Amino acid sequence: MAENTEPRIGVFLCHCGTNIAGSLSIDDVVNYAKTLPYVAVADQYQYMCSTPGQKKIDDAIKEHNLTGVVVAACSPRLHEPTFRTATREGGLNPFRFEMANIREQNSWVHMHGMWDEATDKAKDQVRMAVAKAAKLEDLIPKSVPVEHAAMVVGAGVGGMQAALDLASAGIKTYLIEATPTIGGRMSQLDKTFPTLDCSQCILTPKMVDVGRHPNIEMMTYTEVENVEGYIGNFDITLRKKARGVLTPTEATAKGIVGGGCNGCGDCTDVCPVIKPNPFEMGMAPRKAIYIYHAQVMPLIYTVDFDSCVKCGLCVEACGEKKAIDLEMQDEFITVKVGTAIIATGFDLIPIEGKKEWGYKRFDNVISSLEFERLICASGPTGGHLIRPSDGKTPQAVGYVLCAGSRDNTGGVAKPYCSRFCCMYSLKHAHQMYEKIPGCKVYLFYMDIRSFGKAYEEFYYRIQNEGAKFIRGRVANVLEDPETKNLHIFAEDTLLGRPVDIEVDMLVLAAAIEPKEGANVLRKKFGVSASQDGWMLEAHPKLNPCGTTTAGVFLAGVCQGPKDIPDTVAQAEGAASAASIPIHMGEVELEPYFAICMEDLCAGCGMCVNLCPYSALALIEKEGRTVMQVTEAKCKGCGTCGGFCPGGAIKMQHFTTPQIAAQIDAFFAGGVQ
Amino acid sequence: MAAKSYNISELDNKLADRRYHLADSNPEFTQKILKTSRTIANMCYQCGTCTGSCPSAPRSSYRIRLFMRRCVLGLENESLTDPDLWLCTTCYSCTDRCPRDIAPTDVIMAMRNLAFKRDIIPKNFLQTVQLIYNSGHGVPNNDVNRAARTKLGLPADPPTTHTYAEFIPGIQKIIDHYELKANADRILKGD
Repeated sequence: MAENTEPRIGVFLCHCGTNIAGSLSIDDVVNYAKTLPYVAVADQYQYMCSTPGQKKIDDAIKEHNLTGVVVAACSPRLHEPTFRTATREGGLNPFRFEMANIREQNSWVHMHGMWDEATDKAKDQVRMAVAKAAKLEDLIPKSVPVEHAAMVVGAGVGGMQAALDLASAGIKTYLIEATPTIGGRMSQLDKTFPTLDCSQCILTPKMVDVGRHPNIEMMTYTEVENVEGYIGNFDITLRKKARGVLTPTEATAKGIVGGGCNGCGDCTDVCPVIKPNPFEMGMAPRKAIYIYHAQVMPLIYTVDFDSCVKCGLCVEACGEKKAIDLEMQDEFITVKVGTAIIATGFDLIPIEGKKEWGYKRFDNVISSLEFERLICASGPTGGHLIRPSDGKTPQAVGYVLCAGSRDNTGGVAKPYCSRFCCMYSLKHAHQMYEKIPGCKVYLFYMDIRSFGKAYEEFYYRIQNEGAKFIRGRVANVLEDPETKNLHIFAEDTLLGRPVDIEVDMLVLAAAIEPKEGANVLRKKFGVSASQDGWMLEAHPKLNPCGTTTAGVFLAGVCQGPKDIPDTVAQAEGAASAASIPIHMGEVELEPYFAICMEDLCAGCGMCVNLCPYSALALIEKEGRTVMQVTEAKCKGCGTCGGFCPGGAIKMQHFTTPQIAAQIDAFFAGGVQ
Repeated sequence: MAAKSYNISELDNKLADRRYHLADSNPEFTQKILKTSRTIANMCYQCGTCTGSCPSAPRSSYRIRLFMRRCVLGLENESLTDPDLWLCTTCYSCTDRCPRDIAPTDVIMAMRNLAFKRDIIPKNFLQTVQLIYNSGHGVPNNDVNRAARTKLGLPADPPTTHTYAEFIPGIQKIIDHYELKANADRILKGD
């Protein structure tokens, strides 16, 4: 397009089915648009984003020799890329496109009985967009190279799968895990529904694969300290927490030939400090130098410096291997990666907050994860289910489903469905019948949500095994002080009768919440949270693995409750999405960066400290001090441009004349 | 559907179609309850925590969950004419535990108010009105209580309207404002 020609704008209104057309008059707005300055053509279509809709834009650019395009439709977050492509297809620079959001910001919020007002507002929005479109400039996106490496944060089953997929696709992958071993929640489970696979048997081979994959650098007992950079070039600082124990590789590097931890466990035998083992939900002891369980990966011991008394007995026991260093300090290392996947998982809510169910008040009320450990072959009881008060085998067990899920009362409770409690409680019922013949199982439920493949059939099987399903949420639980048995009070809503059922043990299928610390971590990566606290995906249907930060992806429960099949599926999706920019080798950045107009810049440097992305610096140029923008780091937030006392900073695509034109159009025009 | 008839009223009544029909619902009833109770009574998902918590339910046919269901469906006549409506002790256990954060107790209170507008109310409730009107107490002091108080070293009558009878006219004024006493007398006389 030649400069200095009069702008020629095309305006296109989208009906979005009835989403927009049902709440305001498209015809009125189109006719109004035709009267606006610079508008060469105004048109409408049922779905502007469809092929015929995009064709209208393409054709109109050619036919009317347009210099700018306005589409009044949905949010730019959904279809700005679509219409930019259509604009480019028509022969214009794609940044000659402006979007007016008359759906989320108009028809959806003025749905009922505001036809005329919504129509007037749409006219305002279109008029402002046209004013800006008349002043848009050609912009050229910048390409930056992408580092051929990726990071996965969290090494549960989701993180491990994502890391294996990335690594097998030829990408160097850092797998970061905060605890001393990979494996996550799945390694705490005994069996998995609905196939009743032994959890360890399907997980541990994957753990071994991770450990020996040449492209995976597994970093356990490590946390993300700081994230800098942008897609393609993240500089991530990691805190390698002081483990107090050297791996064989680390020992060799220190010149201790043949030394380092070989997992023999001699140290743990002599350690005098005893602490509860969090892996066993605190139901078994561990020493101050410990491993979580026998199948850990890597098989390296860890010193808990919060409880170590530094007696040195372990150092003596370790002897010539010289693996233990009680003076070890946290180390920081920085790695460069192109993309990252967050897979931080979940915790159970502190269910003692729902006082009526008696958790932590009554001995024989336990959480579902505690039940998993008690029934697990490798658990603290070797898989012999006992109840905490007297170590006897429970003959009657109750299960409270939706314990804190689907609950709007606030506090520890969560309004959402935790999605896997129905199914694991069915599995728990099955395990009871398997291990304790003649036992009685009562499941208190509101709805049984057995939605997955072969899940409903599993429900059928468990009912056939004898489980009694009582449709009623548990109102309260009381303990018999003599027997320590529990009385469960509820209503059998199908019978229409209150029940009082005495059991030996009660299992609470507690709701889940994001892992402790997940909130801090997500902020480091610039990832938002949805209202329920889980990390926010870029689009719930069309981009469930991506986030609003380019190059950062989500896998597993950190994005919302999921069972193992769904977690693994999302992990593979995230790995695939995260590998695309790496395999492309370079990414295009939106050209929204700031530009310093050096003849106006006084070199005061006030903008440099304001920049949240460290994208600005002062440099010497032709004997003067001026500011310089690192374009790839700049996110176009406008903080510097808004502040600059000399007006020397130009925000591309959001220039002062463009924004002023929009404001003028709003005040000057409009419904007279 | 046209109903078959046996032309015997007793039999017709006995075999009447008792299915729920849409015509049984009065959506305005739900709205009235929402407005009067100031709780989100339409959001009940029938988990039964209320009945499970209810001290009245194990010993009576009162099912608070059923009243919540009737409210959701707008079953006005069924709600207001069911004598169980008056078995709630207003202990608020259901309100404490409801996972949807509804106050079922307040729904019951709203229904009782609407029932009273139709003169549907048990006698003992009206007698309580009369007691309060005359003494300032729903449960006035009695000889057993007086003896117990004296034994504990307390004055025989508590420092309420029993001691300060001059405040009774004030209470009567409030009750008269709502025509509670007049209505109670009228309904009791009509019985």
